[in-house]
Amino acid sequence: MKNTYMTIISELIRFMLSVFLLSVLVFTMSRLAPGDPLYAYYGDRVEKMSLEEQEAARERLGLDASIPVQYMRWLKGAVRGDFGISYKYKRDVKEVIAERIGNTLLLGGLGFVIIFILALLLGLFCAWREEKPADRIVCGIGTVTSCIPEFWLSLLLILVFSVWLGWLPSAGAYTVGMDKNLADRGRHLILPLTVVVLGHLWYYAYLVRNRLLEETRADYVLLARMKGLSGKQVLYRHCLPNALPSYLSMMAIALPHILGGAYVVETVFSYPGIGTLAYESARYQDYNLLMVVSLMTGVLVIFGNMLARLLNGHIDPRTDRRAGAFRGEADGL
Amino acid sequence: MKKKFPGLSLALLTIIVIACMASELLMTKDPAYMDLARGDIAPCREFLFGTDAMGRDIFSMIWYGGRVSLLIGFGATLISTVIGILVGSVSGYGPSGIDGVLMRLTDIVLSIPGLLLTVFLQAVLGGADVFRLAVVIGLTGWMSLARVVRTEVLQLKNTDFVLASKCLGGGFFHILRRHLAPNFVASILFMAVMNVRNAIVAESTLSFMGIGLPLEVISWGSMLSLSENAMLSRSWWTVFIPGVFLAATLLCLTNLGNYMRKSISRRHSNL
Repeated sequence: MKNTYMTIISELIRFMLSVFLLSVLVFTMSRLAPGDPLYAYYGDRVEKMSLEEQEAARERLGLDASIPVQYMRWLKGAVRGDFGISYKYKRDVKEVIAERIGNTLLLGGLGFVIIFILALLLGLFCAWREEKPADRIVCGIGTVTSCIPEFWLSLLLILVFSVWLGWLPSAGAYTVGMDKNLADRGRHLILPLTVVVLGHLWYYAYLVRNRLLEETRADYVLLARMKGLSGKQVLYRHCLPNALPSYLSMMAIALPHILGGAYVVETVFSYPGIGTLAYESARYQDYNLLMVVSLMTGVLVIFGNMLARLLNGHIDPRTDRRAGAFRGEADGL
Repeated sequence: MKKKFPGLSLALLTIIVIACMASELLMTKDPAYMDLARGDIAPCREFLFGTDAMGRDIFSMIWYGGRVSLLIGFGATLISTVIGILVGSVSGYGPSGIDGVLMRLTDIVLSIPGLLLTVFLQAVLGGADVFRLAVVIGLTGWMSLARVVRTEVLQLKNTDFVLASKCLGGGFFHILRRHLAPNFVASILFMAVMNVRNAIVAESTLSFMGIGLPLEVISWGSMLSLSENAMLSRSWWTVFIPGVFLAATLLCLTNLGNYMRKSISRRHSNL
């Protein structure tokens, strides 16, 4: 019992430390990068301002102090829940994010659930039909879809379904004035959701397949077969439960990737979510917004990793230090 | 279940690579020449793949731009592999203090959203040319490789041959080169190939979003950055053709990579 508390406490400390370091890193990096946040606030009017006016504006926004001082100021506000204002939107950062987070959670959350279920089913199917024509066809199609860059797939879908056929809208989360209309939201969600799902699905389905194939080669399968269980029964009752822990921990790591990794999709479809916000804030030095968006994604990643580690250790004590097997999606971006 | 050698993929990849390297021989036009009066021409005999909105010949641009895309793919992978091996082996071989610090660092870099990291690095390095973009992409892609190298080195460092080499006075880099690397190279080869793929995707995505290569530097990604325009003018070939080449290259690399991944087991299924 004491051990459990110790684990929780040490995990918590690790978590806090990681978040703290992440905030320092992002803060310093964003301030060291060239580019003037005044442009985010005033737009092109900055060029017409005199040097004195620029200085005054900088002082007002608290950008005149040194980086450590600025960080301490930010940290003081942050622990009280005050993350400052967004330079571009000139409103509380929390408000700007609150407006959009629903859209991202809808897209990413739905995507995650679909991927979670489909990857498991596809992996099971392929493992069951290993090296048979059905498996080969699914593997072939899967490999091809995993090789299509997300932004290009988005373009193709827009070209076909919006420009040529005119069936589905190509941008936004809803038609103006119809934000309460579920059918309209659904129509706007179909194309981005397709890209999110296709972009990740095969990576996980293939891992499930390979993990299951590893299991089917174990000796206990022979024993179960000898007892008279059918191949299908062994696969479902023995192999699947053995493969599930690593699948769960893998999906824990995948969660932030799918939830927070949709910025390319969001940008192409002009979907008003956190992804487009992250992209804008990083490009236009909207410091306060950038900090919160990065921390949100970062916390999610750290949390996902922690969850995976705990899941692994809990379900299978042997995997304690076996880091690396499924960690980090090789996604490039 | 020995995997079949992906001969077709290798052949196709070789053709694409050679054609891009020897693009001067294939190009029918100057790829950079803009002729605004003849923009958005559908594929025809003169322009095999049509022209883009700026009136450039897409057929010539494919080969010319492919060179840049491939160069960035391989260049970035070289950088990320070197960093990954160094971080991973120092972390695995060194004392647990250094290991802890390096792995925390890797965790934190991994938890910075990839796009933000790229934008930062780019802002710090300044300018967007082929070399800088390769460096940026390389610097954002070494983490998973470092993890795998670390795991391998952890298993290797207590073996007798490493101990023997240490006793005979072998330094870190000697042991890394002669004893550790030959043993983990097989397991990271697959990741390196996948990194080439990821780097090419990253280049095209960044250029497409307008934060990679500018329009004048022709690459498969920057060719696609005019796609908004293509949506309006319905010139599907400006979107379709560069993407097909991109996807085909990625597919070949994936097939090769999957082949290199150690076959999970040579035994037959017991089901």
